[in-house]
Amino acid sequence: MTEMALRGELSANTVGFCRLLRRHGLMVGPGEATLALRTLREIDLSSAEQFHGALRTTLAKSPREQAQFDEVFDDYWMVWDRATDLLRQQQQRTEVSEPREKAPQQKGSFVNIRDWLKGKEPEDEEETAGFSPIEVHSQRDFAHFDVDELDEINRVVVQIAKRLAKRLNRRYRHTNRRRGQLDLRRTLRHNLGKSGDLIDLRFNRKRPRRLKLVLLCDVSRSMDLYSRFLIQFIYAFARAYRRVETFAFSTSLYRLTELLRSQDMDDVLARLPEHAPGWSGGTRIGASLEKFLTDHGDQLLDHHTVVFILSDGWDTGEAERLALATEGIRARSRCLIWLNPLLGNENYRPETQGMLAALSHVDLFAAAHNLASLRALARILGQLRSGSLPRTRRRPRGVDATGQTAIAVAGDTGDGPNGLGSDGLDDDGKPDRPTTTSNLRELAARQLQKRKDFRERES
Amino acid sequence: MTDTDLPAVQEMLLSQGYVAESGVAMSVYLARRLEKPLLIEGPAGVGKTEMAKVLAQALDTELIRLQCYEGLDTSTALYEWNYQRQLLQLKMDERSDLSMTQKEASIFSEAFLLKRPLLRAITHHCSPVLLIDELDRADEEFESFLLEVLSDWQISIPELGTVKATFIPQVIITSNRTRELSDAIRRRCFYLWIDYPDFDKELAIVRSKVEGIDAQLSIEICRFMEMVREQKLEKTPGVAETLDWARALVALHREHLDRQTVEDTLGIVFKDWSDVSHMRQSLDEFLAAVGVRAKPAPQKE
Repeated sequence: MTEMALRGELSANTVGFCRLLRRHGLMVGPGEATLALRTLREIDLSSAEQFHGALRTTLAKSPREQAQFDEVFDDYWMVWDRATDLLRQQQQRTEVSEPREKAPQQKGSFVNIRDWLKGKEPEDEEETAGFSPIEVHSQRDFAHFDVDELDEINRVVVQIAKRLAKRLNRRYRHTNRRRGQLDLRRTLRHNLGKSGDLIDLRFNRKRPRRLKLVLLCDVSRSMDLYSRFLIQFIYAFARAYRRVETFAFSTSLYRLTELLRSQDMDDVLARLPEHAPGWSGGTRIGASLEKFLTDHGDQLLDHHTVVFILSDGWDTGEAERLALATEGIRARSRCLIWLNPLLGNENYRPETQGMLAALSHVDLFAAAHNLASLRALARILGQLRSGSLPRTRRRPRGVDATGQTAIAVAGDTGDGPNGLGSDGLDDDGKPDRPTTTSNLRELAARQLQKRKDFRERES
Repeated sequence: MTDTDLPAVQEMLLSQGYVAESGVAMSVYLARRLEKPLLIEGPAGVGKTEMAKVLAQALDTELIRLQCYEGLDTSTALYEWNYQRQLLQLKMDERSDLSMTQKEASIFSEAFLLKRPLLRAITHHCSPVLLIDELDRADEEFESFLLEVLSDWQISIPELGTVKATFIPQVIITSNRTRELSDAIRRRCFYLWIDYPDFDKELAIVRSKVEGIDAQLSIEICRFMEMVREQKLEKTPGVAETLDWARALVALHREHLDRQTVEDTLGIVFKDWSDVSHMRQSLDEFLAAVGVRAKPAPQKE
């Protein structure tokens, strides 16, 4: 009898536990809950270790989830443990003394669990979802945005982002040929002179791979003016293009991908300061990028990945560290693009120590300070479509970004330092010509040279 | 129930020389009981692939392995028609009186089918262990394709019809996390994370796997490895490296670690140039911490 009752309660509590896990961001749906119940049938329920192990392997599907699982597990099931103990004690007692007398109390202990489930959980959720801004250095209220402005910007940004996403999502150009499909032309040619029999088949296995993007956004105080604007772009882009990983950094690094994917823009804006506690604080770019490299580099970086750093380069950390980190990222990705909104300002020169240190490892250095520059950026990204481009190699040592290539092409565009918007790709009048990454590097070098010229002219 | 209750699984792993915590046994046990794939993740060289081998051995069944790599496509994973043989057959049949349909039927029969791992696993005469190794290296498209096979256990070959599994294979999927696997694949599997072993576990592994190893040497090796893994290295060595090293030292008839030997054999443990040079520089303090004399042990007469 009690065994059955226990099972019934156990099922209810297990389902409750699954719900709690889901609220903590674990990927636990009804399917997992059912599976969890099935696994519990297969194990010895009196063993706490087995119980924990079985639920863990069923419900937590990554190291991150396992850590969260362990965090929640004890809190939730401790009550259950106590109840079971109570039950056992009472059972023993009832066996000795008159039966039934203690039965109501027995039930009471379970009712407590139910109450706990119903009553305490929402509170619990509020706490764990992080409504108490402990780590936040300075809370910002995004609701104070000018709504008209926001709408307008958002509309354009979404438009750009969608167009770009559509372009990047397209996998085949001019042809519908699938991988491994027979390449008739090459087959025929190859088998010429074999009495017309097609013995040796040729397949076309070449297949462009879609780009992956990683965005690393500086949300420190010095970027305050722009981060709101950039976050719009990122959000719209992440909505339309699935293969984006987004991180925010200031004094530390925070992964925003899930947040951006699952929530409404308003929610994201409202809750961002909680998830990126250093929002509008100082910056330690080097340390943040280093953390990105060690924690996520293996999983996220490969030669199909384009990495963006959105930052003004005002680093309060060591420049050497930043240089090493950018070099590391550069070496393991397809290309590294640094977007610096200050580049839109005529008086700006990338002279902060950090910026200088990082520049030699950056493929493209561009502004992202207004819609025009965003559009230009989108155009470059569209041309970066993978497959047709060779992977860029590490820049030969000793030649920095302002090196010889820069001199060779310098001076053919005379406009001011307005970032991407005004120079570069359109020079030859064919804006959609595919750009190789070396072109990109050239572009970056050209821009740097131009800035150098500009500086010289001034002094 | 007999061969598949939890202690039996634990026993089984142990008997094959696989030292595992209870969590590992639990995952294997549940995956077997509920006929679900088991997804094993963890750093390189901690025995993820070994698990599949051990399982196949313990269950006395065949291990069918699908090694994933970038660009792995369905024809390599499922089946291919033996085109050259088909062509020969057609040539041979040229003079015969067979009708076109008969010819066609003859060349699209099982004799001309090259079975690749997935099809082999499905058509196997008993339930095999199917190891899908390093799935993170395959393309995402392949992963999606795999989902279909793993849930339906059938493969349709247009020329032959649908092949349905008679016995559901025990699937083990491993990943080194060079990229995140999709949520969809995670949802279908039990999950197991195998980390670097702690000192005691590694000691047990070394002692069970390396024959004739000196008790003191094995302790020193494991203590050394434990400390090594606390360092910031390009490539942290796994258990595989520990075992290689232990075997090498046994082959060299060493009973203790000494500086010279360690320095000479660094290449077995560290597979990255900068790690080797980093270790060489800090070897003295390192060995002192492990409790090894800095000078080579005096030669015994």
